[in-house]
Amino acid sequence: MCCALAVPLPVGTAAAIDDQQFNELKDLVTKLGQKIEKQDLRIEQLEKTHAQDAQVHAQDQKTHEQDQRKIQELQQKLEETQQAVSNVQTAAIAVPVEPLPRVPLDEATVNHNFSILGDAEFQYAKTSGQHGTFLFADFAPIFLYRGGEKVLFEAGFDFGLQNNAPNSPGATTTINLSFAQLDYLMNDYVTLVAGDMVLPLGTYSERTAGWLNKIPDDPLPRDLLPGAGVGAQLRGAVPLGESGKLINYSVWGVNGASSADGTGNADQLDLGGNVGLRSDNAVANLHGKPSGGARVGWFMPFKPHYDLELGLSGQSGEWDNAGQHLWSAGVLDASLHLGSTVEVKGEYIRSCYGSDDHGNVRPEGWWLQASYKLVGLNLDWPVINNLELVNRYDSIHDGLGTRTRRYTLGYIYYFSNTLLFEGGYEFLHSNDPTQKDQLIFQLSYGF
Amino acid sequence: MNRPSSLKSRLWTGAGVAVLGALLYALSSVFVPGAGAKAEKKTEKRVEKKPEKKKLSGAELYSMHCNRCHPERYPTERTAAQWKTILLHMRVRANLPAEQSQMILKYLQDNSGR
Ligand code: HEC
Repeated sequence: MCCALAVPLPVGTAAAIDDQQFNELKDLVTKLGQKIEKQDLRIEQLEKTHAQDAQVHAQDQKTHEQDQRKIQELQQKLEETQQAVSNVQTAAIAVPVEPLPRVPLDEATVNHNFSILGDAEFQYAKTSGQHGTFLFADFAPIFLYRGGEKVLFEAGFDFGLQNNAPNSPGATTTINLSFAQLDYLMNDYVTLVAGDMVLPLGTYSERTAGWLNKIPDDPLPRDLLPGAGVGAQLRGAVPLGESGKLINYSVWGVNGASSADGTGNADQLDLGGNVGLRSDNAVANLHGKPSGGARVGWFMPFKPHYDLELGLSGQSGEWDNAGQHLWSAGVLDASLHLGSTVEVKGEYIRSCYGSDDHGNVRPEGWWLQASYKLVGLNLDWPVINNLELVNRYDSIHDGLGTRTRRYTLGYIYYFSNTLLFEGGYEFLHSNDPTQKDQLIFQLSYGF
Repeated sequence: MNRPSSLKSRLWTGAGVAVLGALLYALSSVFVPGAGAKAEKKTEKRVEKKPEKKKLSGAELYSMHCNRCHPERYPTERTAAQWKTILLHMRVRANLPAEQSQMILKYLQDNSGR
């Protein structure tokens, strides 16, 4: 009890603070406790937030590191690429620049076209026993008009200068229409030609022009045939297999031959005549009915520059006004190439016509020409590689008793593929005393 | 009076045509089979080495045809449009087959002076 008393004593001492104060203090303490609890809670929350922050930060750090690594990788790759580019650039400088591919053709720009081609010649000739002369100047333009894919109009003119007859002064300019024809490609195998046409009676007249004849003048027996005729023609080619072999053909009807004066006298035969229009513009069938003709050719190439072509052609029709007489001609032609240096070609020509004064007249003739380009000798001399040697033998019998044989030895000097200087000496044998040996030169240009 | 002579010349022409025909036949039998046989032998030999002969190219056809009648004309001498016109001219003049002249034209245009 004493203890019990003793214990409350201090209390009793303390009891100097009264109950009220104690309760107030107690309240205070409780409140403080509560406050502290709250503070703890907040701290706890803050700590939690902080921990979360730290986690986020750690993640950031990681991302940053990853980014850094990526940047490094990219930098490395960039360096590699730059290196590669500079390698390619240096390589490109070392290799010669390749040409750009060509732009494809715009077909519209090549749909219609007008072109002028042709040739020009200047001739000098010296006939045995006469003065030498610049024989003529000749300008032969060819006008080509193409309409689209299938139509071509071609016209060839011949402007020439000719000395007037002995005892009359000066020279005369002549203009001839060599051909004026319309070509229409009907299909792959047939072409229709109409107008004033070069005739494939043999090959010579279709394959001539100053710059492509190897000897300045024509073979004598060509006088037996018309070079051109007014009419219509069907022509074309049929390939035989893939090797380049082919058969070509032409079939035509033309006005000539006719009679110059209407009679049936042999010396009035006019081979290409009867164009159908009189000078007073009246349509007239002058002295002879239209005639028909055809040619078939085989072209056999063995390889490029090695080929043989054989052809057979003929034409026939009434020539005099009375319709009494027929004129006919047949031609066998051949051409052979052995490499780009050797060429042999020729024609055999026969013709026959009835006449009032001489009955049946049978002219005939042939020519053979061989040429060799000296470049084939492989010599290292300056002029020689541009030279070609040409030989020609030609012969004609006019059917009325005149026979002429001629041998020509000639050359061609090629300034270029189209500018040629050619010359030849013609040895002539004839029972016509007016025909003589001749030296002849020609400068030809094809444009 | 002159009729018989006309008949005669007609007969002559008939005979001429027959002769030409015979000549044509003779030529074809003399030249063509001979050449054909030779070509066959050659291709036989070649067949042993190379498999089959390919189709001719535009360039080959150009060198086969374009200096037969005259010195060759180079592709650069003309423009594409001019070549189209000139090739039509040459196709008619030289009786070139359609496909061949188109292939030559392509070769010339591709290498033309534009
Ligand atoms: C059958 C013979 C022949 C063949 C093949 C031939 N030409 Fe021609 N060529 C001629 C004749 C003839 C002329 C000149 C006359 C004319 O143009 O009417 C000519 C003229 C030319 C011209 C015009 C130049 C001028 O001055 O007249 C050119 C370009 C030409 N030929 C290119 C060619 C080409 C390209 C080929 C190949 C496909 C070729 N020729 C094949 C016969 C031929």
